[in-house]
Amino acid sequence: MAHAPAMDGNRQYAHHFLSADHEFETSKQGIWLFLLQEVLFFSPLFVAYYVFRGLHPADWHAAAQLLDWRMGALNTVILICSSLTMALAVHGAQTSNKKKLVVNLILTLGLACGFLVVKYFEYTHKFHMGIYPAGAFTYEGLGQYPAAKLYFSIYYAMTGLHGIHVLGGMAVMLWVLKRAMRGEFNAHYYTPVEMTGLYWHFVDLVWIYLFPILYLLG
Amino acid sequence: MAEKHGNHHKHHILAPKIIWTVWALLLIGTALTVGATHFHFGAVNYVIGILIATIKAALVVTFFMGLKYDSNENRVIFLTSFVFVAIFFVLTMSDLFFRGPVEFDNGRFLAAQEAHAAAQSSDPWISTPELVAKGKELYAAQCVVCHGVNGKGDGPAAGALNPKPRNFTAQAGWVNGRKPSEIFGSLTKGLNAMPSFATSPAPDRWALAHYVSTLGPSVLKDSPEDLKKVGAGNASGGGGGEKTLPIDLAIEIMSSEG
Repeated sequence: MAHAPAMDGNRQYAHHFLSADHEFETSKQGIWLFLLQEVLFFSPLFVAYYVFRGLHPADWHAAAQLLDWRMGALNTVILICSSLTMALAVHGAQTSNKKKLVVNLILTLGLACGFLVVKYFEYTHKFHMGIYPAGAFTYEGLGQYPAAKLYFSIYYAMTGLHGIHVLGGMAVMLWVLKRAMRGEFNAHYYTPVEMTGLYWHFVDLVWIYLFPILYLLG
Repeated sequence: MAEKHGNHHKHHILAPKIIWTVWALLLIGTALTVGATHFHFGAVNYVIGILIATIKAALVVTFFMGLKYDSNENRVIFLTSFVFVAIFFVLTMSDLFFRGPVEFDNGRFLAAQEAHAAAQSSDPWISTPELVAKGKELYAAQCVVCHGVNGKGDGPAAGALNPKPRNFTAQAGWVNGRKPSEIFGSLTKGLNAMPSFATSPAPDRWALAHYVSTLGPSVLKDSPEDLKKVGAGNASGGGGGEKTLPIDLAIEIMSSEG
C-alpha cells in the first residue's frame, strides 16, 4: 500500500520516519554501518600484505621498487583534491548553491576519471613487462625473489578493489549530479549528496594507506 | 539520536575555510611522506610513513567525514571497525610469529617444522612427496657429479669411472635391484666406485632412494619382507627408525660393527 510522503515544514520524508531529520540521521547511520563493513572488507588484504611482507621482506622491497612512486603520488594528490571538491559540493548543497554543487560534482567526477587514467597507464605498463598476478606472472627480472609475484597479486587485489570502489563512486555521483541539475537538492534536503560524500572520503581514506605501503615503504 | 526526533536538529555545515585548510594539510602530509622516504632512517621510515598516513586519515574522518560533529553512536560504529581490524591483525601476526618459520617452496608454503618432520619421519621407507623433494635436493648436491642431472649416469665425472655410474632411467643392469629398499642398501653399503653413505642420516638415504626410484621407467614398491631385509619397518629397525646420530657416536658404532 502506497503511503504519501509526510511533510515536516516544507520538507518531505518517508512516512515511517518521525521527521525529516530522523530520516536524514537514519540514512547517515546506514552509511556509517556500511563504511564499518567496508573497513572490514579491505582489512584482510592489509593483513595478507603484512603477513607476506613479514615472511619475505627482501622480496617485498625488491618488488615495490618496480612501482613508480610518482604515479602513486600523483594519484594521491588527485584523490585529495577530489575530496576537497566533494566537500565543497556538499557545502554547495547545504547552502542551496546549485551552481557550486553542480560544478564541484563535475570536478570530482573529472578527478575520479583522472585517477583511473593514471591507474590505467600503470597497469598497462606492468602488463607489458609481464607483471601479472602470481599465476600469470612472467616477468624475469626478479628471479632471485620468488615471492615478488605474491607482492603483485596483493598489489592488484588491493588497487583493483579500490579501483572498483572509485568506479562505484562515479556511478553514484552521476546519479547525484543528474538530480542536482534538476534542482532536487537544497538546504532542506541534500541527503544523497552528503552520503555520497561520506563514501567518497572513505575511498580517499583507503588510498591514503595504499599509497605509502605499496609505493614508498615496500 | 532519539532526543533529536521531532525538533529540528541543526545539521552541521563544514565551513569552507576548514575544508580548504584540511585539503592543504593533506597535501603537506603527502609531501612529507614522499620526502621522508628519501631519507634512509631504516625501520623508523616505516613508522613515520604510517604515522603520517594515520594523521591524514584522521583529518579526513574528523572533518571531511564530519565524525567530529556527528553523534556518539556513529563514532562508536565507525571506530569499532578498527578495533576488530586490530584484533584480526594481532591474532594473525602472533600466530605467524609463534608458529615457527614457514618455508616458501616452489609456490607452496611449508611450515619448516612440517618439512623437518617429514624428513625425520619415523617411517621414511614409505615414500611421500616431501621425502622425494628432500631426496631431489640431496641428489643435486651429492649425486649429479657422477649420475648426471637427469640420472642417466652421464655426470661430468662419469667418464673417468669404470664400471660406469648407474643409469637410473634404464630398467636393466641394476646390481642390487631398483626397489627403494635396494637402492637404500646400495647407498648404505656403497657399490663399485660409490662410497658408502652410511654416515648420512638414514632418513636422508631413504629420501634419496625414493627420489632415485622416481627416475626409473616405473616406481617399484617394497614388500614388508624387502623392508625387513634392510632393518626397516619395525621399531628397532636400524635402517630407518634411527635418529640422526652425532658424527663421533656414529663412527664408534660403525667401527664396533666392523
